[in-house]
Amino acid sequence: MKTAKNSLETTERKDIIVTKPKKPLKVFISENAKSIFKWGLLLFFLMYTLVPMLWLIISSLKTNTELMGSHFSLPSKLQFGNYINAFAVSGLGTLFLNSIIISLAATLLNVLVAAMAGYVISRFNFKLKEGIFTMFITGILVPINALMVPYFTLITKLNLYDKKIGLILTYAAIGIPMSVYIIRGFMNTIPAELEEAAAIEGCSFYQRFFKIILPLSRTGLVTAGTFQFLLCWNEFIYAMLLTSSVKSRTIQLGVRYFSNQFTTDYTSMYAAIVISIIPSIIGYIIFQEQIISGLTNGAVKG
Amino acid sequence: MRKTYKDYIGMLVFLLPAIVLFAAFFLYPVGYVVVTSLLKWDGITKATFVGLNNYKLIFTDEVFLTSIKNNIIWALAGGLIQVPLALMIALILARKPRGWKIFRTVYFFPNIISGVALAMMWSAIFNDEYGVLNGLLRIIGLESLQRNWLGDLHSAFPSLIIYWLFYIGYFMIIILAEISSIPETYYEAASIDGASKLKQDLFITIPLCKGSISTCMTLAMVYGLRQFEQVYMLTNGGPANKTSVMVLYLYKQIQNYRYGMANASGVVLIIIGALVIITIKKLFRVEKYQM
Repeated sequence: MKTAKNSLETTERKDIIVTKPKKPLKVFISENAKSIFKWGLLLFFLMYTLVPMLWLIISSLKTNTELMGSHFSLPSKLQFGNYINAFAVSGLGTLFLNSIIISLAATLLNVLVAAMAGYVISRFNFKLKEGIFTMFITGILVPINALMVPYFTLITKLNLYDKKIGLILTYAAIGIPMSVYIIRGFMNTIPAELEEAAAIEGCSFYQRFFKIILPLSRTGLVTAGTFQFLLCWNEFIYAMLLTSSVKSRTIQLGVRYFSNQFTTDYTSMYAAIVISIIPSIIGYIIFQEQIISGLTNGAVKG
Repeated sequence: MRKTYKDYIGMLVFLLPAIVLFAAFFLYPVGYVVVTSLLKWDGITKATFVGLNNYKLIFTDEVFLTSIKNNIIWALAGGLIQVPLALMIALILARKPRGWKIFRTVYFFPNIISGVALAMMWSAIFNDEYGVLNGLLRIIGLESLQRNWLGDLHSAFPSLIIYWLFYIGYFMIIILAEISSIPETYYEAASIDGASKLKQDLFITIPLCKGSISTCMTLAMVYGLRQFEQVYMLTNGGPANKTSVMVLYLYKQIQNYRYGMANASGVVLIIIGALVIITIKKLFRVEKYQM
């Protein structure tokens, strides 16, 4: 209470101190140059990110002749047919559906498993606690691309090659380190008293997890889930390595396959790329706060 | 809280799935690549122990050496160019200029889009016949600079890494988060003492977000070592293997059924990755493990 009052006083005092004296001309010019530099920089990075994407979307609505004729013209008539083409010719519909099934299932499995482990690591003290946690987070930095042969062997031995479940299991496992890390961070912020009270009331280990901890760490679960979903949706190498047919391949391979099959139909290819990035963009816009808070927690809490 | 017997069982049950998955997809595979890198093995005939022969083979292979060199350049460019750029933008956005949230949102877009989609987009930009970059150069009258960006021996590799370096969103957000956790009073004190904004950035902000900067450098360099999609989609290692990277090399060994060599290059990748992480930790003297 007392500290709150003190800080209030300091903020008031700050207002008084910060009344600015009139600036000399030299300072005015140098400040303007600074602000031009600042805004120039901000806008450069903005354009660098946005313009190619907008160009892609506009090009995906042109005819191929228009595209070849001029890079920067607008389409004379919006060619939504390119999008229909992209779906019809390359089986993109199936791949899109596969991606959704695989990403959702892998995300659910990953978050559940990580939440269970995160609960134990965050809420209990035991001998191997630090060791187990360090082991998990070291996994974040392992270059998993180096493990292609063992993953291939493992999935083949489990008889899961070219099956959706193979990719689901692989993706869920690859994301475990990151998800345990994020979820544990959130669970650490839940006060221990809540659980102690519940234990005295006679709540079992499982009841405490499902009824208290899980609902309270919802933000953490959504954050970890968002990261996990993006990982699954965008993953390429293992989707290529562990599948061989349309029934279990994902949209990332669809886009790639498209580039091989129809090298002359650029505009439909662009449409396919746009289709493949739309779910990511929508997911990002919905869960933006979670993504940012996930990165924030990671950086600050350590 | 006192743990009951049932709690211990619950803890075991809850930890087990994560540990099993981790063991199957991290511990076992790492052990597996180390052991099988010592074998001559094509997946069909029986594997034979050949000691360090696979390492001798890859380290005398010109393509693998180029790949390592490219990965190291990529990692250094990430750590020494991309991260400082991200830091600079984070410092600007930390003062919350108008529309800073929009900038933050847009800068992050490339990080949520798949590497494949980005690579395809940039292949359209770099293409020599219908590419946007050449078109742009024609419009502004610099025809002489036009080239087949990804097919030219000199421009292929720079083109491949430069476009990624300006995507700074991920690191910018990590650094920005740590900046916003610095107490406002430090800046108040500094401005009373007459420290300019630049000095405040240099002597307060940057030292205090050392942790997130080292995290970003680690991540940027590890990404540089992990590269695959961009190279695979844009150049597939060409022209003349100039743009090959370690993971692509590994992938090509698998396609040629040289599993021993593939795993040896995997081990090299893991070791270089570990060295990078340890070096950055030492350089920044980060005590606690940070991600």
